[in-house]
Amino acid sequence: MKKLIALLLALTMAFALVACGGNGDAGTGGEGGSGDLAGTYKVTIWCPEATVEMTKAQVAAFNSSNTMGITIDATVEPVSEADAATNMIQDVSAGADLFFFAQDQLSRMIQAGAVGKLGTSAAQFARDNNNAASILAAQSGTDLFAYPLTADNGFFMYYDKSVVPDSDVDSLEAIIADCEKANKNFSYELENAWYNAGVFFGTGCHSQWVTDNDGNFISIDDDFNSDKGLIAAKGIYKLVSSPIYVNSSNADFASGSAVVVTGTWNYATIKSQLGDNFGVADLPSFEVDGQSYHLGSYSGCKLLGVKPQSDAKKNAAINQLAQYLTGKDCQLQRAWDPVEGKTPNGQAENGGFGWGPSNKEALQDPIVTNNPALIALNAQNEYAVPQPNIHGSWWDIAKVITTDIKASDGSDAALKAALQKYADSIQAVFEISDEVKNAFTVIGSINGDSWSLDLPMTQDGDIWTSNEAYTMDVGVEFKCRQGMSWDVAYPADNFVVETAGTYKIQLNAATGEVTLIPA
Amino acid sequence: MSKNENTSKRHMGIKAANRLSNGAIYVLLILISVIWLIPFVFIVLQSFRVESTYQVGYVVPHQWGLQNYINLWNSDFKRWYLNTFIIALASAVLVTIIQLCMSYTLSRFRFKMRGPLMRFMLILGMFPGMLTMIILYRVLSDLGLTQANAVPGLILVGFASSGMGYYVSKGFFDTISRSLDEAARVDGATRLQVLYKIILPLAKPIVIYTILTAFMGPWGDYVFARYVAFGTSAGYNVAVGMYSWLTNDQINRMYTTFCAGGVIVAVPVTILFLCLQKYYVEGVTGGAVKG
Amino acid sequence: MKQYSDLEFLRLSKWQRFCYKFLAFFAAIPRAIANFFINIGKGIKKCCLRVAAEFRDIGQTFVNGDWKTKVSFLVMGFGNLTHGQILRGVMFLLFEAVFIFYMIFTGGYWLSMLPSLGKQGPTNDYDAIYDSYTTHYHDNSFKILLYGVLTIFFIVAFIYTWRMNVKQCKIIDQITKKGGKLKGSRDDLRSLVDESFYKTLLALPLTGILVFTVLPIVFMILVAFTNYDGAHNGFSNNLFTWVGLDNFNTLFSWQSAGGGQSYSATFGEILTWTLIWAFLATFTNYFLGMFVAMMINKKGIRLKKMWRTILVLTVAIPQFISLLYVSKMFARNGLINLALGPQGLGWISQPLPFWEDPTWARVTVILVNVWIGIPYLMLITTGILMNIPADLYESAKIDGANAWQQYRKITLPYMLFITGPYLLTSFTGNMNNFNVIYLLTGGAPTNPAASGAAGSVGYTDLLITWLFKITTGAESQYYLASVVGIMVFVVVAVISLVVYNVLPSIKNEEDYQ
Repeated sequence: MKKLIALLLALTMAFALVACGGNGDAGTGGEGGSGDLAGTYKVTIWCPEATVEMTKAQVAAFNSSNTMGITIDATVEPVSEADAATNMIQDVSAGADLFFFAQDQLSRMIQAGAVGKLGTSAAQFARDNNNAASILAAQSGTDLFAYPLTADNGFFMYYDKSVVPDSDVDSLEAIIADCEKANKNFSYELENAWYNAGVFFGTGCHSQWVTDNDGNFISIDDDFNSDKGLIAAKGIYKLVSSPIYVNSSNADFASGSAVVVTGTWNYATIKSQLGDNFGVADLPSFEVDGQSYHLGSYSGCKLLGVKPQSDAKKNAAINQLAQYLTGKDCQLQRAWDPVEGKTPNGQAENGGFGWGPSNKEALQDPIVTNNPALIALNAQNEYAVPQPNIHGSWWDIAKVITTDIKASDGSDAALKAALQKYADSIQAVFEISDEVKNAFTVIGSINGDSWSLDLPMTQDGDIWTSNEAYTMDVGVEFKCRQGMSWDVAYPADNFVVETAGTYKIQLNAATGEVTLIPA
Repeated sequence: MSKNENTSKRHMGIKAANRLSNGAIYVLLILISVIWLIPFVFIVLQSFRVESTYQVGYVVPHQWGLQNYINLWNSDFKRWYLNTFIIALASAVLVTIIQLCMSYTLSRFRFKMRGPLMRFMLILGMFPGMLTMIILYRVLSDLGLTQANAVPGLILVGFASSGMGYYVSKGFFDTISRSLDEAARVDGATRLQVLYKIILPLAKPIVIYTILTAFMGPWGDYVFARYVAFGTSAGYNVAVGMYSWLTNDQINRMYTTFCAGGVIVAVPVTILFLCLQKYYVEGVTGGAVKG
Repeated sequence: MKQYSDLEFLRLSKWQRFCYKFLAFFAAIPRAIANFFINIGKGIKKCCLRVAAEFRDIGQTFVNGDWKTKVSFLVMGFGNLTHGQILRGVMFLLFEAVFIFYMIFTGGYWLSMLPSLGKQGPTNDYDAIYDSYTTHYHDNSFKILLYGVLTIFFIVAFIYTWRMNVKQCKIIDQITKKGGKLKGSRDDLRSLVDESFYKTLLALPLTGILVFTVLPIVFMILVAFTNYDGAHNGFSNNLFTWVGLDNFNTLFSWQSAGGGQSYSATFGEILTWTLIWAFLATFTNYFLGMFVAMMINKKGIRLKKMWRTILVLTVAIPQFISLLYVSKMFARNGLINLALGPQGLGWISQPLPFWEDPTWARVTVILVNVWIGIPYLMLITTGILMNIPADLYESAKIDGANAWQQYRKITLPYMLFITGPYLLTSFTGNMNNFNVIYLLTGGAPTNPAASGAAGSVGYTDLLITWLFKITTGAESQYYLASVVGIMVFVVVAVISLVVYNVLPSIKNEEDYQ
């Protein structure tokens, strides 16, 4: 069946190439299918209130510029990115055809059947034009389910130059001292997992949920409860134990804060609050045991989702519109600096929003490279971890780390206890299916991996054999473990390869005996 | 003589004490009034603020102007206001009819199913109404009365289930003597004639009370209205539309506009209420307590 | 428990009587439960006998009836029609036609799908011509359940109507055999505004309640026995199906559901706060409202109308305006904190955590509720206070009672007597007071320990707002919301039962001349 589809696909692609060879519009990319898309389509679009007018203008521009004969009759409704998922899930059939939404809703949307899988060429278009982090955000398993719209869902630091001199912005300790001296607050919403996870990433920890092609969560790979995590916990304690710490990410400068860690969406407000004292930079570093760690963050995206359609032609036409709306020009219009800049066409009322683009070309544009908030965001992005699909309950579990650290006395034992509680909670929430729970996998330094990848094994009674043969050098170590946890793992000490070669790995689960079978 | 003196002294003492306690009461009442009025005065003042649109630490605007009201006029607010007004008007008529039918019947007629019916409705009322939101949405959606058509949908749900709220007016009807009906029946009037010739004129306060509460209800309806009109601005009522102005991504731009909208919504409703306050009081005291 | 004789009972103080009644109620529970089951048994027996009697009656009607009656068994209303009762006959016939039509064209499908709630979910296909994926929808579990229930309602209604039809035939038989005169259509119509006027009046309200209240509640109760949630929405992704009592097990299991706390612990926590809130909200409003009313009512206080009007503003102005505004006023960045903060009066260096600290938030919610609730109570109590016979106070004054004593001995008992039922409804109303909590705090601040279980649970969340969060939250666990809704019903019902059992007795023994 798969082969058949692939064959069909190849044929179609070839046909498409011949068919649209000459008249491909440079502005809108992927035209995979051969079908004629000409026609008028009624489309509902949900976007945040501020962007409604701009979106209408962009749809009109698409109508007049596309060469495929598509006319979109669009109804544009103001629905915030946060509400889009809830609204779509309430009733998919009555929901919008295109909608802006935040990436953390993606797997929920896939599970609800509220976003459709992108066609081959559409996916290729998105991959070609957007940066890697934003593509990661739009995919589940190996499939793409939405178009990246922005890549600015990250946070950095705004500060009041009259309190924090520019020379201090690299050091958390110096900033805290400045704030304490001036009795001004430091707003950093660490009691929110989105923010506190960044501290852990800064010390080299990772936390990754793995999803399949249906939006289901398969496993989590997380090492917050480790020595590196302990360093991060100490960093968090440093700030939350200070009297000037405020758990907030709002534009707090009017209510006594000198530093606020937040994102581009507060840029305009903060600029008007601070005036000449406006300062913005990437996050500072903190010091533990003489070593310095730059605070990390998540970098996330806003996505444009396409509702699953029953009509292939309409679906293809809507996808063309979606590609236009997430293309370079439209992204740049939204990226325009809302404070300093004028709009691309010089009109004041249709101004941009300072949204950082995900489009590779747009990222190089002066509109982006001259916006102070986006400069800070890009500087911070070097220390940021692309935000993957995350299990809904993780947010609630992970934010408790900060609450526990704040309540503790800051001793190593107390911090370790907070991390241990976090690790236990994750184990509890992630109900591993019996199949996965009982299955053995191989994990180790095979293929240069550093004990992070579980290699599958197949069961035959008590005998488990690895699915593939691996080429192993002398000294490669591994273990066979059950249910991706260390509760049951063989052999007791790591298995060390003594003779180089290509082997399958076999385990007798009854005896715990591990043997190599030359392939 | 001495006795008289005594009483007059005591009298004066009482008077003085009275004056003192009255003074204390005035102080308290003024204090309470200030607390009660503060938020409303603030809303009005802030609705005229021009210099900034987010929350600030002062109340009297530095720069007065109608900018926020102009913003309102340019937004979808007009549509929301009209929607709400239509719903309020329709439910004032329909809900009143339903509730009066229900309460009059249960107060005046003694039929076989009356007791079980009242008990059944009492039990039904103990289920949280929130639960039924999802299913009512689907029913309306099948009838095509959601999103852009949310207004008739909300009217339908509002009046169809309003029979459950018969308690207050039933309490009032119970206070009208049944001998009046019986006298009229003896004179050959049908039940229908008894209702509109004798009972209704006497029940004027409760009718006005019911109309008033039915009219005011839709102005504050948020959760269900949002669920029905989701994602379609044309079907919003004022509460749904204005709620989004105070969410985190809009509050810094729309806070003062919200205040202006609040004033526009509250002023007519409040004036209406204050005009009919007398009937409202009669309704709640006559019905709510005895019901 | 000590049993009092009537005479002993009358000697007790009011408080003791109350306690006695209260304890007696609970002492009686085991017996009540036993009686409940005995009554169920009796009920079933009665029911069976009744059904048997019905069948016997139907049989006899058939055997004794003439051919017209026999035809009526199949063609409803035939008997009425042939005996000149056109209106009734047409109604019966019409109903039967609609029923048969409905069952053939749609009802049969819904009914047949009800046991499985659907067989085929949506399918995804790749369309090579347009290089896009298309989705095709098939069965819809939600509609199957909804219309399945509706169809069952309809069938029950049909059986009842058919039975009425048969009864009518019997009556017609009896009357015609005696040579009596049958009621014509005109009589039927006339009775609808006279003897049966109540039927006319109730028809519309009860239909509305049946469709828009009873049907949804039955549906939602059924949902508690399915796995209907965001990942099984029955149409656009997976179908949902029956799961028996699993959901009740989930709610009542003490096993951790993640985040270190079980559903039952979370439920217990929220229930506790709900009860505390309902108690405080009811009684702070009650006593403060009465107090304000007494102040305004006091002789010699001028401008009575003005004071009332000012207070009544919170009743008049839609809550979403007043509560949302107040909520933002108390926010971290709100008017109060800004005004008191460094840039305003400079009284505080740190914003006050009105909505961030659990205790602050709970206290603030109750205080704001006082602001909203007192005026209503003031209006109610004003009327009642004026009804208290003045001579009661006069005679109390002559006895030398001071203001507090007058309040304790006259005002309060009178008020409690009159407003007892109101207090109960107000208590249960406050338990389900969605607006105040949702508009003020949205449940905040978050309760991290409880949040692992379901939705983001906050310290000010009531059961009703939790229920809302479950349905609209990340996982849209409708089935769990149903279970919680049923539990809310149980709690409200138990409280009402207890209070009703204690209350009337107090009422009867109060003695006002």
